[in-house]
Amino acid sequence: MKNKLSLKYVGFLLMLAILVLLPFVNDSRTLMILLTQIFIFGILAMSYDILLGYTGIVSFGHAMFFGIGAYTSAVMLKQMEPTLSTFLLSIVVGVLLAGFISFLVGLLSLRLKSHFFAMLTLAFSGLFLVVAEKWRSVTYGNDGFTFRAPEIFRDRMTFYFFVLACLVVIFLVLYRFVNSPTGRILIAVRENEQRTKSLGYNTLHYKVIASIVAGTVASLAGSLYAVSLRFVNTSVMTMDITLDALLMTIIGGVGTLVGPLLGSAVIEYAQHALSGLARDYPIFERWIIFFGILYILAVIFFPKGIIGSLRLMFWKWRLKHKEKDQTSVAPSQEKERFE
Amino acid sequence: MELFVNLVINGLATGMLIFLLAAGLTLIFGLMDVLNFAHGGLFVWGAYAGIFTYVFTESFLIGIVGAVVTGALLGLITEKLIITPVYGNHIQQILITLGLMLVLQELIKVVFGPNGVAVKTPSYLTGSWEIGDVIIIKYRLFIIVVGFIIFGIFQYMLKKTKIGLIVRAGVQDKEMAQALGIHIKRVFLYVFMVGAALAALSGMLMAPYSGVIYAEMGMEYAILGFIVVVIGGMGSFSGSLLAAILVGLAGSFMAYYVPVLSLAVNMILMAVVLIFRPQGLFAMRKERST
Amino acid sequence: MSTLLKLNDVHTHIGQYHILQGVNFEAKEGQVSVLLGRNGAGKTTTLKTIMGLTPASKGEVEFRSHSIKKSPTYKVAKLGIGYVPENQGIFADLTVEENMKVAMRKEDTATLERQTYVLELFPDLKKFWKKAGGHLSGGQKQMLSMARAFINDSKLMLIDEPSKGLAPIVVEKVMEAIVEMKKQTSIILVEQNFIMASRIGDTYTLIDDGRTVHSGKMQDLIHHEELKRKYLGIG
Repeated sequence: MKNKLSLKYVGFLLMLAILVLLPFVNDSRTLMILLTQIFIFGILAMSYDILLGYTGIVSFGHAMFFGIGAYTSAVMLKQMEPTLSTFLLSIVVGVLLAGFISFLVGLLSLRLKSHFFAMLTLAFSGLFLVVAEKWRSVTYGNDGFTFRAPEIFRDRMTFYFFVLACLVVIFLVLYRFVNSPTGRILIAVRENEQRTKSLGYNTLHYKVIASIVAGTVASLAGSLYAVSLRFVNTSVMTMDITLDALLMTIIGGVGTLVGPLLGSAVIEYAQHALSGLARDYPIFERWIIFFGILYILAVIFFPKGIIGSLRLMFWKWRLKHKEKDQTSVAPSQEKERFE
Repeated sequence: MELFVNLVINGLATGMLIFLLAAGLTLIFGLMDVLNFAHGGLFVWGAYAGIFTYVFTESFLIGIVGAVVTGALLGLITEKLIITPVYGNHIQQILITLGLMLVLQELIKVVFGPNGVAVKTPSYLTGSWEIGDVIIIKYRLFIIVVGFIIFGIFQYMLKKTKIGLIVRAGVQDKEMAQALGIHIKRVFLYVFMVGAALAALSGMLMAPYSGVIYAEMGMEYAILGFIVVVIGGMGSFSGSLLAAILVGLAGSFMAYYVPVLSLAVNMILMAVVLIFRPQGLFAMRKERST
Repeated sequence: MSTLLKLNDVHTHIGQYHILQGVNFEAKEGQVSVLLGRNGAGKTTTLKTIMGLTPASKGEVEFRSHSIKKSPTYKVAKLGIGYVPENQGIFADLTVEENMKVAMRKEDTATLERQTYVLELFPDLKKFWKKAGGHLSGGQKQMLSMARAFINDSKLMLIDEPSKGLAPIVVEKVMEAIVEMKKQTSIILVEQNFIMASRIGDTYTLIDDGRTVHSGKMQDLIHHEELKRKYLGIG
């Protein structure tokens, strides 16, 4: 066990070192932008996985929290001085707003069964989209508006490091969260909500906590996203954002934190590469088809995603080669990821 | 007065189209306990396949047949490949049907091109009648009539025929229905195909009504369909009709009187229903009724 | 008397649980075969395994010398096995009439004659012909469920605890009906009420912890105090 833990630790540090050193080796603008984008959506996908992978609930309204963060930062940077402190303040405001709204929405909707919850979150996020479209004096509707990013972020590399730092902090915080007693109970809810309830846990309470954590982290991702583009419009509130998070989580691997990050990297990179190809082969303009098919196949055949499947293979390999070792039994949660 | 009548007719026509879409959803949900998030994809495929058949054959009726056949075939493939592996697992159902929705929507762009297509109403359904001050647009009346006919046929089938009995029995207790010798999986398949055909029909009828079809319309109208199913009570056929009319009328009146709210009114309706009466407005009893 | 149904070393898993761990059992034509055992011994699962609702993972299930181990439930039913589950399985929203109709695989004169026959057996059903199944009393539900299983010229009826939760006078009626039906079909009965079971059963099979432990003629069990004490907790 100890061996495996340190392996994880080394892998984590190695990856971090590569990402920190990378800009000094190759600071091409495209690469910086692509990696920044991967980090931001990685944060979003991790937050989504708190709901989908750890608590076992499907939300169709995640874009609403992303949008809240994006608009809060954009509006504050536009209306006030575009300084770093304004930006940091806007992140806090966005997180508080998202936390409050996810608390309300969660309280209202998490009592419902999965279908209804999915629909209700869809409805709420639809309402926010309408607000963003109609409240033109502030949001400029569908056209959106540009704004100035804090001076310090003019340099792509600085922003890259800022986002990377956010990613690492969020990763560590979420890692602690899912391994905390609360996180364990969320997994219990996912595995069997009735049983968890009958053990005396107020599952609604824990689901609301998950919803707040997911909502606030998504809001942070939204803030970063807005600043990375220096532009915001209603697209940050649309279903597409939720779908992106969903695809990344499923393809990368639900119920892990590394999975969504990997998913984000795969999808953002593929999107980037395929849209390049699309200039020559128009079929690649419809890259989402490939992902859709991949995603369907993943749900049927690899419901654990890339990471989960690798992990399963690893356990099987371990079992085969270490049959003497009585302690290496695959964790029971590998069996059924959903429900 | 004429304004009122016109708003009612608009609302009814929209409501009927949503009903046709929601009817398939609610049937599939009621019997198979599957919430099909790909329903909008079947809707938009119905619209495109139907309109292309219509343009090709120059017959609106053949176009409708084309839409229905396309819908049923897609339903067949979907049920066999996509739905069967995930029976009984709600989360996987939501995820997988959503993925199918994406694929169907993008495939529309591949097959028929990414741009919207303008649609003309057949000549015998264009124009309007004037009765006093009230102008009745023919095509809207046509939709309303078709909607009521379909509702009547289904209501008759469900209540008065053996097939209806089998479906209703299956909705209530799958195991027992099988133990009585009913091949419930095949019943599922047929119901799914009928539901898909209804979605396709509603897409086809929607096309001349909105005047243009585009790939994203599937998702837009599917959301309305979901709202109606939730408001009407999942699995309730007549509840869906009432809810669809309610949503249609609310949309039509809001668009005139409070345009700012018109986009949000359905969402608000659904949110209120889900929060205060999650079993739906028109689900009278605890048991699911058809 | 020929063998109608035969279970040979049947094992059944439900999820990860190994419920049946070797059930051997024979039902002869024209008899009432009773499955006895404690709660949770696996009697209901045995019936469900015969119906294909919880398919056997090992062993063999033969009906009239044909394997039905892998047959889906609806095919098992069509072969002529009627099933009366513990909870009666009445379609609550359907009327008594509709419940009967949905069960009928043919609507020929023979079926209609059988319907007349069961309605004479259970006059209550006739009385509440248009009433929703969900509004019937427990006894009426039991009768409707039995009538439904009987209607298709069933060669064999599986009846799961018909006396459960019913008033003694209703139990009496149900038992009389079973004796009456036995003239036309064979019956496998799961019954906790040993006095009832011993009155109408021809043979018995004892199930304990998912295994058959004993079987024989009902007459012999009635006097076998040790078996009764050990497996049924009576005597």
